[in-house]
Amino acid sequence: MSLNLRFRTKSGLTALATASLLAGFAGAATTVLAASQPDKPVIGGTLVYLDQQAHTNLYPPAGGFYPNGGVLNQITDKLTHQNPETLEIEPWIAESWTVNADATEYTFKIRPGVTFSDGTPLDANAVAKNYDIFGLGNKALKLPVSEVINNYDRSEVIGARTVKFYFKKPSPGFLQGTSVIGSGLVSLATLSLSYEELGDATKIIGSGPFVVTGEKLGRELTLAARKDYNWGPAKLAHQGRAYLDAIKIIVTPEDSVRIGALLAGQADYIRQIQAYDEKQVEAQAYQIYAPSTRGVNNSVVFRPDNPLVSDVRVRRALLNATNADEIVTTLFSSNYPKATSIIAKTAQGYVDLSSKLTYDVAKAKTLLDEAGWRVGTNGIRQKDGQQLVLAAYESPPQPQNKETLQLVAQQWGKVGVKLNVLAGDAGSKTVDSLDPLKTAVAPGMVGRADPDVIKSQYYPTNRNVLLQKGGNSDKVKTFLDDKLNTLLDNLASEPDRAKRLAIVGDVQSYVLDQAYVIPIFEEPQAFAVAPYVKGVAFEAVGRPSFYNVWLAPR
Amino acid sequence: MSRYLIGRIGQAVIVLWAAFTVSFILLQALPGDAILIKFLNPELGLGPEQIADIRASYAVDTPIWTQYAHSLGNFLTGNFGYSVHAGVPVSHVLLANLPSTLRLATFGFLIAALLAVAISFLSTLIGFSWIRAVIQSLPALFISVPVFWLGIMLIQIFSFQLKLIPVINPGEWEALILPVAALALPISAPLAQVLMRNIDHVLTEPFVAVARAKGATRSWVLWRHVTRNALLPTLTIAGILFGELLAGAVVTEAVFGLNGIGSVTQQAVGNQDIAVLQAIVVFSATAFVIINLVVDLLYPVFDPRLRSKREASA
Repeated sequence: MSLNLRFRTKSGLTALATASLLAGFAGAATTVLAASQPDKPVIGGTLVYLDQQAHTNLYPPAGGFYPNGGVLNQITDKLTHQNPETLEIEPWIAESWTVNADATEYTFKIRPGVTFSDGTPLDANAVAKNYDIFGLGNKALKLPVSEVINNYDRSEVIGARTVKFYFKKPSPGFLQGTSVIGSGLVSLATLSLSYEELGDATKIIGSGPFVVTGEKLGRELTLAARKDYNWGPAKLAHQGRAYLDAIKIIVTPEDSVRIGALLAGQADYIRQIQAYDEKQVEAQAYQIYAPSTRGVNNSVVFRPDNPLVSDVRVRRALLNATNADEIVTTLFSSNYPKATSIIAKTAQGYVDLSSKLTYDVAKAKTLLDEAGWRVGTNGIRQKDGQQLVLAAYESPPQPQNKETLQLVAQQWGKVGVKLNVLAGDAGSKTVDSLDPLKTAVAPGMVGRADPDVIKSQYYPTNRNVLLQKGGNSDKVKTFLDDKLNTLLDNLASEPDRAKRLAIVGDVQSYVLDQAYVIPIFEEPQAFAVAPYVKGVAFEAVGRPSFYNVWLAPR
Repeated sequence: MSRYLIGRIGQAVIVLWAAFTVSFILLQALPGDAILIKFLNPELGLGPEQIADIRASYAVDTPIWTQYAHSLGNFLTGNFGYSVHAGVPVSHVLLANLPSTLRLATFGFLIAALLAVAISFLSTLIGFSWIRAVIQSLPALFISVPVFWLGIMLIQIFSFQLKLIPVINPGEWEALILPVAALALPISAPLAQVLMRNIDHVLTEPFVAVARAKGATRSWVLWRHVTRNALLPTLTIAGILFGELLAGAVVTEAVFGLNGIGSVTQQAVGNQDIAVLQAIVVFSATAFVIINLVVDLLYPVFDPRLRSKREASA
């Protein structure tokens, strides 16, 4: 498949070779042979998909959460389609578009004949109403602004099939922003609902290849194919309705139950498989797909407002004390490449900064000594009567995050720094995570195939992982990095592509020079799929698309 | 009798009020709240002013006594509030999930009771001492098995290895078999232990020897004379085990991916959805009180001596 889909075919290839040898006994090898005829899709059947978590809210801009994205990607269409291999933006609901020179005006020509599943037309007016809400939010309905849309001003409907968007400042990331999960188009009826009501999947009316037909809240979702669907992304080979008749999305929180059900033939496709389970899945000729999330790498992030880590030498020392190689080889598999910058290799504007990410215990110790932290009698470094003891909450949605942090804690222990890994209830975690004094360190990652993702992660009014002043936390006293924020602002508003990518490089270097984060690995989304499931595809940041999926005879 | 009943109902009201108040205080004392947890999610990218607006609309920052009076008043009128996380009224959440938990708990309890009776009878009736020893050790085994482990083992063996019962997409009744087994085994244990002890005790009573001397068979004596007497303390335990049943349902529903009050509780704890938790606490306390009241009222049915005592005192 794509370059970025690091799924392993070793066992599949062996099986194929065996199958060719046994060609005479075709009957015994039908399943395997079907794999060599991927061009003859079968229509019909129900795909059973197991997710680890239930969806929370299906307001499209909340689609970043993987369980939400897994649903939204099937039931909504986007203005444009980002080719997951080339990352080019291609036509979908928009047939064509024009952008002015400074990226402040975007005009889209809408494809004719597209309807939402409630029968209302998906026309220029509907698109304009969607983006007015995504771009500006709606206070009365409690709908927040989409994090992928920067500097939005207003829309203008120019005829039934043409819509124009205006921006207050250049918004070069907008075109890619129209292709992401968070920009799924929904009907006017859905847009009139308040945020709280959008937890009910049956109320999300999209124009996608599937429609929600049943929901057991928090447990199960049934999607049925729309027979009249005829507006898939223009450049896809597959046009017309989806191959599957239906999809059952079943929430199965237990890891062992998901994998057992897949291998026992009770499920066809599962999300979130841990690295240590990959072998048993592959041993039975099932496939692991680990599409990259192409965003900000899985990292350990500092909160410099905390005086313990406000000194860049301390942060740099901890960066040097962290052995990412050991973490990746001990806990993960080849599907989790070691990070070589703050963003993934497959992300746009990536620069290889592995020279800044060296593991060097001696250097770490020297830096800590220089910063005035001396090893005390208990082995923990101290300065002015204070011990260098830090704390971080584990983040359960990230793969083996607790184990990762514990290994980091062991590594830091070798240079005399103690890291306490906390697993609190949701309430304490939410409150403490906003207080730099309580959590000097936090795990973090975010996926999106546009450089704007970097701004999303660090900017004070976005995710604000560094906890800068002026963001979502009122506990921050002084920390504000104007240089970083200026870089991020420029990144989000530089219309020239080459210049924009240069800024992406500058941000990567700056963040690592300041040692604000310690990148650990490039996070994939790991799926396991039964061998008879064909046409497996993912959007650019690893959410499954079932439009092209079909079930070969077992 | 009616005075007794009125007294008991009065006690029940006090217990319910106490359950409401204590749970209210404990839930308020927790750091954070459902609104923080839901809306501070960085994925939403809400600014501090937007969050302040949302908090104001949910009135979470009003003084605690106002909130207490408000929610107590609402509870009394049958309004359980609004689930911040699910975005629907709490009564909806409870009504949608109650039937499945009720079914699971009822069957779980029935099977547990049957199992307990079977174990106790067999351990008394079977002649071979080594078989008796094995049977008598079963409750100790059952009680030490964690429900989640048992659930996963049952799934692995009966669903994934033997492929007898699917856990994904099972039929309505098929779906109950393994969860009921997982729930019933640990609960049967204390019942069986109490029942076995009481049977042993009652068997030493003189009237048993008299009945045997009159020519009654061992099983007749066990059934007609011993069981009725041995059942009373077991009934008390059964009432108390209701709490265990609810706790077991939380784990069982999570492992088997079932809908129900148990999984709602789990999610509500995770999201600190206070309105839902408050309703579940009051609901559980009500059920607990009612079950124990029923158990109390059943005593005279099984033991005529109590009947006459109560009538005399009334």
